[in-house]
Amino acid sequence: MYLILAQSAKTTWWQSLFSGMSPASFFNFSFLPKYLSFFWQGLVYTLLLSVLSVLVAVIPALLLALGRLSKSKAIKGITGGYIAVFRSTPLLVQLYIIYFGLFGLIKIPSHTILGFIDISRFIPGICALALNSSAYVAEIFRAGILAVDAGQTEAARSLGLSGWQAMKLVVLPQAIKNVLPALANEVVTMVKESSICMTLGMMELMWGAKTVAGTTYITIAPYVLVAIIYFAINFPASKAIEAVERRMRRGDRKV
Amino acid sequence: MTEKSDVLISVRHIVKEFPDSGTVALNDCSLDISKGEVVAIIGPSGSGKSTLLRSLNMLETPTSGKIIFEGTDLADKSVDINRHRQKMGMVFQHFNLFPHKTVLENITLAPVNLKLKTKAEAEKTAVALLERVGLADKKDEYPAMLSGGQKQRIAIVRALAMEPDVMLFDEPTSALDPEMVGEVLDVMKNLAKAGMTMVVVTHEMGFAKEVADRVVFMADGKILEENTPSELYEHPQDPRLKDFLSKVLI
Ligand SMILES: Nc1ncnc2c1ncn2[C@@H]1O[C@H](COP(=O)(O)OP(=O)(O)O)[C@@H](O)[C@H]1O
Ligand SMILES: [Mg+2]
Repeated sequence: MYLILAQSAKTTWWQSLFSGMSPASFFNFSFLPKYLSFFWQGLVYTLLLSVLSVLVAVIPALLLALGRLSKSKAIKGITGGYIAVFRSTPLLVQLYIIYFGLFGLIKIPSHTILGFIDISRFIPGICALALNSSAYVAEIFRAGILAVDAGQTEAARSLGLSGWQAMKLVVLPQAIKNVLPALANEVVTMVKESSICMTLGMMELMWGAKTVAGTTYITIAPYVLVAIIYFAINFPASKAIEAVERRMRRGDRKV
Repeated sequence: MTEKSDVLISVRHIVKEFPDSGTVALNDCSLDISKGEVVAIIGPSGSGKSTLLRSLNMLETPTSGKIIFEGTDLADKSVDINRHRQKMGMVFQHFNLFPHKTVLENITLAPVNLKLKTKAEAEKTAVALLERVGLADKKDEYPAMLSGGQKQRIAIVRALAMEPDVMLFDEPTSALDPEMVGEVLDVMKNLAKAGMTMVVVTHEMGFAKEVADRVVFMADGKILEENTPSELYEHPQDPRLKDFLSKVLI
């Protein structure tokens, strides 16, 4: 319909802005049969990056959260500083510093898994995303721990359990259950954020799009396609997480 | 009765100031609790009853003073407080059962994890105690499925499973619907009859009168009067106590 309008009317100034572009070019997926594997492998790469980095982030995040809640001023300061740095600087900058800095010192041999994942890039990528994610997940855990009623700790301590036993046996199991939705949301965020790994040649979704665009000179549609793929993953995932959260809240009320 | 050897807990000049608010919740309180004695603590809200009770097992760390329990000053920082807390059961106003654990797991958690008992032994003790409070059939339920009265009876059992030398109660019936107060008080009465040393912060004047050996009246962070229930209720001396009793006894 836009096409017909554009052709029938006289050319106006705003139409000249879009010269050389037609709505059809947004959906010109003619590259697909030949380049499908770029998107398919890119999707696998992206999902591995985001899921693994959040999983790797869980343990450091827990330690950071416990550090933030520690009585020791030094531990509180160090963990608080880490969280502040990673939350206040761009992920892209962190990625470059970790890739060229940290992994400039630690050399990982080039080795390919699944036929397209080069671990000498993949592992630094996971590390950078996980170090960044741990700062966010730490705050999720901290809030989750604080949300557990103080009476739970008091009851546990009054029975003679140590502070750590009370944390491990009583507080954390309740906190973890409450933070699972937030943790899943962090994966959703990482699915999007991991696209910056393209800049270091990790063959994830965005890299696939850029490579296809460069090879085929079809400049827009590959990006539109990955946008659709990102959306098709993240939107249902977010909705599912919301539904779980609602259910958990309703469950809590019943108590 | 107050021979030296009989004293289980000796509170010596306890002061507690909350640093954040600057509130002096306890202002030089001293109190001896003998083995087998039931002591009720009464007083207006905010008078420091909970703070005093919670100081006994160091849930509140006193600013100064001593809490001597079985010969050890618990306020001394070098003391392994966890070991002594095992011998001091505590029951809270809001039960504080562990919601992610079944009734049986609530009761066996501490004895098993502190390696005082094997799981089988702890479960055997737990079931026996549950039978005593008439809740053996609830052992596999989660706390969310129980009434307030049942929750509090299980909280008492959880504390008893550690085989404590003293039980501390902080307004154990205040959060209960009126029809459930009786079932909890009955458990406490039986416990007193069985010779358990008990310190009970309570608004239940009937319970204090019937069960307590001694009633302690607190106001403004001070112990103003202590006596046998009959003396304290019938011949109150302190004007604050007279005023308090006239309001609660109607
Ligand atoms: N954690 C706390 N921080 C600051 N002030 C507190 C805290 N706990 C109690 N207080 C204050 O100490 C006083 C005594 O409180 P509490 O022992 O709970 O009294 P009661 O149990 O007799 O009602 C009150 O003024 C209360 O506001
Ligand atoms: Mg109180």
